[in-house]
Amino acid sequence: MRAGRADRARLGIAAPRLRPGDLARESWLSVTRFPGRSLLTALGTLLAAAAFVSTLGLVSTLSQQVSSAFDLRRATEVVVKAEDPGLDNGWQHAEPVDRLRRLAGVVAAGPRVTLAERPVTRLAGGSGGPAARIMGADPEALRVLAPNLVQGRLFTAFDESAAARLVLLPRALAGELGLHRTQAAVFIDDRAYTVAGIYDDVRRRPEALHSVIMPFSTANRLADATPDAERDIVVETAPGAAQLIGHQAPLALHPAAPDALRAIAPPDPRTLRREVESDLARSTLLISAISLVIGTVSIGNAATASIAARRAEIGLRRAVGARRRHIFTQLLCETTVLGALSGTAGAFLGLAVTAGVSLWNGWLPVIDPGTALRAAGCCAAAGLLAGLLPALRATRVQPVTALQR
Amino acid sequence: MLELTGIDRTYDDGHPVSALRKANLTLTEGEYVTVTGPSGSGKSTLLNVIGLLDRPDGGSYRVCGVETAGLGERVRVGIRGQLFGFVFQAFHLLAGRSTVENVELGMLYGRHARRTRRRLAVAALDRVGLGHRRHADPRTLSGGERQRVAIARAVAGRPRVLLCDEPTGNLDSATTATVLALLRELNTAGLTVVVVTHDERVAAEGDRGLRVVDGTVTEVVR
Repeated sequence: MRAGRADRARLGIAAPRLRPGDLARESWLSVTRFPGRSLLTALGTLLAAAAFVSTLGLVSTLSQQVSSAFDLRRATEVVVKAEDPGLDNGWQHAEPVDRLRRLAGVVAAGPRVTLAERPVTRLAGGSGGPAARIMGADPEALRVLAPNLVQGRLFTAFDESAAARLVLLPRALAGELGLHRTQAAVFIDDRAYTVAGIYDDVRRRPEALHSVIMPFSTANRLADATPDAERDIVVETAPGAAQLIGHQAPLALHPAAPDALRAIAPPDPRTLRREVESDLARSTLLISAISLVIGTVSIGNAATASIAARRAEIGLRRAVGARRRHIFTQLLCETTVLGALSGTAGAFLGLAVTAGVSLWNGWLPVIDPGTALRAAGCCAAAGLLAGLLPALRATRVQPVTALQR
Repeated sequence: MLELTGIDRTYDDGHPVSALRKANLTLTEGEYVTVTGPSGSGKSTLLNVIGLLDRPDGGSYRVCGVETAGLGERVRVGIRGQLFGFVFQAFHLLAGRSTVENVELGMLYGRHARRTRRRLAVAALDRVGLGHRRHADPRTLSGGERQRVAIARAVAGRPRVLLCDEPTGNLDSATTATVLALLRELNTAGLTVVVVTHDERVAAEGDRGLRVVDGTVTEVVR
């Protein structure tokens, strides 16, 4: 090194150098003065970045959409059942159900009993009527189900206490029976019931859409003669309280043996959302990683091919005083600049796709600039990686090459 | 200034070929030397060795008194970039760069900062009579103009020796005359010029003639 410095001093020459600013400018010029060639070279990374940003953007947008439209009703619903169907139905009586209703977070709770399908007819002793399940629900349980009445009224506390012979019919069943108004009679097991209302939808427990609903106490009388009655308690909770109520409900209803009851609460929406997001994010990352690898290989290939086309230029640079390391650094810098530029362009494309698809569907786009920056950074790194081998090859080009015609 | 003693250079691609055999040559500052010889005689190899583009297998080569055989890459590259200027038959102007940017490239790896390089490049273009085409795309220039740009690139950094390999090989006779006049002018200003050529007219321009036959260098008596 010292000998070299002395020789340079004797010869009156400076150490060859490539200033960082010059390196950046040379790389920039090489990439930008041939936009067509650069675009073809970097198409792979551009698409990888666009895929990365748009899929992550759309996943965030969608999950935001899912969580805002997340079925709030399902998220606030708890059903308590007996582990053993033969369990005494004391847990459905007024006192334990009142205990449950007093729990903080319970909006409404009421017992239900569901009986197997049986024919419903318009005439006593008639046959061939459509079959339907019978669902007994007290006024509070009815509040949880919240049927959407097209005609008539719901049951009152008086109907419940009087075990009134009233029924609510789903519209489809009423149509089959040729019923278009309330106060008519239908027959179940040869007993007459007055149609109190007709409904076309329920907010919770969709199985109620195919059932004839009657007061709980009325259905209980039918159930006494039927061994296969299914019993449960439906609970509407305040948002976010479903999990907690799910834990507390068996103890409130059956303090002596809470394990005899099982509460079914919906999964925590936040956990669910996180799971959905992480699943989607994993697949997205995998797809992006694969496209990035393809992009890296395509930059590497194109750079290797361009070395052959640029042998004369490299020879010339060596002849006018470039060291091997200058050639290496410049080519590496070029592929990195190319990767960064294509990554940035791809990120913008991805953001545009996210915004476009969101607007088209009327969603609120969730755009994270961090994702775009990460995409551009990854592509720059891919460019750097892709440039290593071709840059190394370029250093083997001899300065004599410039003299060959 | 440049002193070659007993230089050997053999290319071995299966069959060893002696491109230079015990070549001896001394060049003093300010000389205008032309090198002639048949194709494959070794005259380009001689130019490559002089310009440190190629390493000889044997012998001694001293530049300004410094023996080059043991020099590291950094000093060799420094000499190549700063003491020598190169002019090639094929011009080697970069596409996608303006004329003045091409001239600047000759000084990119040297001591000058960018602003100085631009000033020197413009001055060199003025000197070769192409100052008005500094922003032109080299592809729009004629052959003679391109070679003058290449000469401007070679001399802009003020080297001490200009090495030209068939500088008029791609030019017609009128343009050749312009380029030769330019080389003479540069030599008159103190630049040492070495021209390798096939063309007898170009060879006659030099103050001193060398002939290379089968790797052996001899003086041409005038």
